[in-house]
Amino acid sequence: MTNKTLLGTAAALLGLVILSATPASADLLDDVMKAKKIRISTDLAIPPSGMMDSSMKPTGSDVEVAQLLAKDWGLELEFIQTTGATRIPNVLTGKADIIISTLSVTPERAKVIDFTKRYATLQSDVGCLKSMNVKDWPDLKGKSIGVSRGTTQDTTLSNMKDKELTIARYDDDATEVTAAVSGQVDCVGTSATIINQIGVKNPARIFESKIPLATFDLAIGLKKGEQRLMDKLNGWITENVKNGKLNAIYKKFHGVELPPDMRS
Amino acid sequence: MGGHLNINHLMFLGQGALWTIGLSVIALIGGGIVGFVIALARISPLKSVRIASAVYVQLIQGTPLLVILFLGYFGLAAIGLKVSPLAAAGASLTLYVAAYLGEIWRGCIQSVPKPQWEAAEGLALSRTQRMLKVILPQAIRIATPPTVGFMVQIVKNTSLASVVGFVELMRSGQIVNNSLFEPFAIYAIIAVIYFAMCYPLSLFSQRLERRMGRGRSNLAPA
Repeated sequence: MTNKTLLGTAAALLGLVILSATPASADLLDDVMKAKKIRISTDLAIPPSGMMDSSMKPTGSDVEVAQLLAKDWGLELEFIQTTGATRIPNVLTGKADIIISTLSVTPERAKVIDFTKRYATLQSDVGCLKSMNVKDWPDLKGKSIGVSRGTTQDTTLSNMKDKELTIARYDDDATEVTAAVSGQVDCVGTSATIINQIGVKNPARIFESKIPLATFDLAIGLKKGEQRLMDKLNGWITENVKNGKLNAIYKKFHGVELPPDMRS
Repeated sequence: MGGHLNINHLMFLGQGALWTIGLSVIALIGGGIVGFVIALARISPLKSVRIASAVYVQLIQGTPLLVILFLGYFGLAAIGLKVSPLAAAGASLTLYVAAYLGEIWRGCIQSVPKPQWEAAEGLALSRTQRMLKVILPQAIRIATPPTVGFMVQIVKNTSLASVVGFVELMRSGQIVNNSLFEPFAIYAIIAVIYFAMCYPLSLFSQRLERRMGRGRSNLAPA
């Protein structure tokens, strides 16, 4: 059993405990407003959404979305340090109020938490060495594809059982990029931004997007049953999609604009 | 993304290193105290105490530290107890270290040769006196190498505390690496820092052994 599966088991057990306990629920929106502080669960090790700048201050698209939210609502912002695997437990157990951390909307997750409407999307591709002749899935047979473990890219590729893919799972994006830079893998499944980063690190191994994998909606996650907070968040997202602020943040870090169907 | 390693990154790693040291100290002091009680309970004349402590040791030793940490932080919160990452990590590590040190020390106490116990009893010393004056001083000498060996392991195991949002040395390295993408430089620095923490411990153990080994008589049973 790997650490991650153990964690998954522990998380599932914990979920049972939480479901069986009756929530001592005041309204989360009131709590946040009263405390004048919002605690946001963000992984600061998933570039370019959450990372550190050269003076070790949090930066990235999710970080700026969180900062914009706190500023608009007149709240102090506290980032709750988290890893990918503990984003959801953080809000389930009240350690954080909401999740803004490249959280893709999936049916599995929707069983445990509520999602707002999308505030961004995440386009991920299978990218390979530029010199490789990869046009479609059969060309990938027998080649190792590097992914970040437990991400939606990992899940999507793992579910393509009929395509006979070989998947190499790494701890995080940085490790996955290292694997690509050093020649451990010739293909990766990740966001376009990361795929381009490989060539920056090693000009001898330039990667390019070959096959689109999937587009995931990214949404803010919160504990189930907090309808008032949900309505307020949805209103905020609609407003900031319309006035272009969310698009500007996305473009700044991901180099492309949000999809047109989302902006209209 | 990109950029180069600068003084701020090193400061951030240094801060992580301080947390690693802090967490190790909490684990070793807390775990040492509880572990000592466990060691004594494991050789208690009362059967119920022996069984209870044995169950504790088996339970903790059979559970990965990662899961103990996870349950300590999120599990307690689920039943309504608010715990900070520091408290959760400190308490989980204490429980974990106590189970191992308790068992290590029980073995050391019991490996003091039987004639020593008998002689102490023959001198009409009480159980407490026997322990304090005869058995423990000899057991400590035997216990030094395995205890230090385990301490070094704990320093490195504190890296698991990142699961509860604790930014210790390993996690701070991961964060820096994910903004720079320079894994070789960063992990090399981290390895050096860990080594700088663990090597003095081993040196200290060697010195301790030499000092306490002096004047040691051959205690093999006749």
